[in-house]
Amino acid sequence: MDYEWNVAINKAIVNNAPKVEKILRENPYINDLAADLREKKLDVLNNIDKYIKQTEESVLRSGGGFHLARDSNDAIDIVRKIIGDKKNIVLSKSNVLYEIKLRETLASEGRDIWETDLGEYLVQINNDMPSHLIAPAIHLTKEKVGKILNENLDKSIDENSKTEDMVHSVREFLMKKYLAADVGITGANAVSADSGSVILVENEGNIRMDTVLPGIHIAITGIDKIVPTLKDAFNEAIVQAANAGFYPPTYINVSSGPSSTGDIELKKVTPATGPREFHLILVDNGRSDAIKSDLMESLLCIRCGRCYFSCPAYRLYGKDFGTSPYTGPTGIMWSAIIFKEYDKSEMCMHSGGCGEVCPMKIPIPKIIEKIKFRYTG
Amino acid sequence: MDANVRERIIKMKSMVFENLMESYIPFPMDKKLYSSWTESLERNKKTVLYTSYMYQISGILKRYEKLFPKIYRVNMPKKLISLSKFIIRPSDSELQRSFSILNNISSMLKKNGIDFGYLYEDEPYSGAILLESGFLYEFQKYGEKLRDFFHDRGIEKLITVDPHTTNALNRLKEIINFDIDVVNYLEIINFKGSGDYVIHDSCLYSRALNMYDPIRAKIKNAGINIHEDYLVTSREMGFCCGGPLSLISESDSEEISKMRSESLLKVNNNVMVMCPLCFENLSPYIDNIKDLAEVVS
Ligand code: SF4
Repeated sequence: MDYEWNVAINKAIVNNAPKVEKILRENPYINDLAADLREKKLDVLNNIDKYIKQTEESVLRSGGGFHLARDSNDAIDIVRKIIGDKKNIVLSKSNVLYEIKLRETLASEGRDIWETDLGEYLVQINNDMPSHLIAPAIHLTKEKVGKILNENLDKSIDENSKTEDMVHSVREFLMKKYLAADVGITGANAVSADSGSVILVENEGNIRMDTVLPGIHIAITGIDKIVPTLKDAFNEAIVQAANAGFYPPTYINVSSGPSSTGDIELKKVTPATGPREFHLILVDNGRSDAIKSDLMESLLCIRCGRCYFSCPAYRLYGKDFGTSPYTGPTGIMWSAIIFKEYDKSEMCMHSGGCGEVCPMKIPIPKIIEKIKFRYTG
Repeated sequence: MDANVRERIIKMKSMVFENLMESYIPFPMDKKLYSSWTESLERNKKTVLYTSYMYQISGILKRYEKLFPKIYRVNMPKKLISLSKFIIRPSDSELQRSFSILNNISSMLKKNGIDFGYLYEDEPYSGAILLESGFLYEFQKYGEKLRDFFHDRGIEKLITVDPHTTNALNRLKEIINFDIDVVNYLEIINFKGSGDYVIHDSCLYSRALNMYDPIRAKIKNAGINIHEDYLVTSREMGFCCGGPLSLISESDSEEISKMRSESLLKVNNNVMVMCPLCFENLSPYIDNIKDLAEVVS
């Protein structure tokens, strides 16, 4: 095993797993929310067309634009139509953006496009791929980060710099990008069908900037992120953050249409201070086929990343266990759904810890068994 | 992943499946020898102790895995494969160890008032390897044959002694109408023991079969002192011995075994396992390692 990876993953497990266990023990209501959320998400998957339609109506009602993309190319074409020749774009961490290859495609068209999550930014300047759903730069040690920043951003930073100084340096750089950005593109932790709202959970504050400072906010996510109500969407944010080890989350952002004000005679006027345009792009890319298949429960995943740390294959293989950005136990399921790649499932030992810790009670080992069957059956 | 791996897995599948459908064993093995651990159990009973040869063959499984590619290369007809050249025998000490474990399980069952027999060399293999390699179609087909085998002999209940067999038979209940009772020996006996141990749980017992808490309760009641660490021995964080990976890569499998052993040894020097395959995979790295059935009576 790669020595650096071994050190990094062991540190991450020691720092994260007991913390999550403590959060859930001290806040038992979170497991109740998770159980309820599972039922709500199952209802959405079983009635996906109805919920897509309801989401569309709600987004349009709130003054946003709604778009359904069959696949990655379709999604990128929609983005192009929305942004025209606008050049300055900021992104927030999202697996779906990786899935559709948004950054590299738009960058190749000469646009100035930046990841604003610290980990994703490091992955971007290192020409790398994320190694974990919520901690994309988990494979980089502090020393390595210092070196990368020295080579790509700030000569005053090196291997020996303090972490605080590294973070400050990136913050200074990104602040200029937020202020210059025409477009902010985010993912979504959840989308509520009843209100057309996008919920985003974070700790850094970058998503606040991405969703408020640029004139256009585009949220791109999978159809699997729809939940019936705004309440369910908030619940998903809480369950996701707690199982990721961040409780309470520093920020939960809600975007329901473009910015508006009713301060003059209570007449709603758009835009106000924030974006003048809001768009939701829901991506299919194999998801509706998966809903009809024996992989269906994979779509309940809320991307908390907890299953990674209970998995011996991820400890050994890191981001090679799956097809980036879909790595780890959940990534084996999602590599099958999105990329139709089944081979890495053979690295799974059916240790079963993933299924134990999954807040959505996805029977991950049994689903991976079915993916193995697709590979050699 | 290397295309050869896929080819190797598929070849292994067809060979194991053909062998099972023909003779109820996955590869050539000396069934008479492996069933000679007892002579005192009755043959014709409705309830039988079912070893599926797991304890007896655990020491040679890895050697068979190494042999598979050679067998494919010569593209040998099935009849020749069963010739003695391809029959691997465990060492005397390996065999004796497995025999004394099975005898201890058998005597604990009797002590707990359970009446059972044994099929000796007629005993079939469970098909667990098919399930665990994702050969679900073949597993189902062989499962149907296995069910008919037990029906033909009037067997109504199987007492299993290892996690792989227990899991395979329980999965058959989900997949086909496998209407034979399956019970694991740990569920039906109480025992006594002593000492200080860290438990390496079988993934299948603890997570797939939901036996983590009941097994711990029995071990504690027996008088054994268990050492725990959330990151090493909890149901959520405990992990595999590495064995299942050996079909893909022997060195990766060993790396997991080593990693697991190191973390267990940080908790206690005495390690307890409950699966013959876990023992095989961890014992190269742990001096004081024992199966539960070597510790209790
Ligand atoms: S599969 Fe479960 S544990 Fe893993 S990321 Fe998804 S919700 Fe979290």
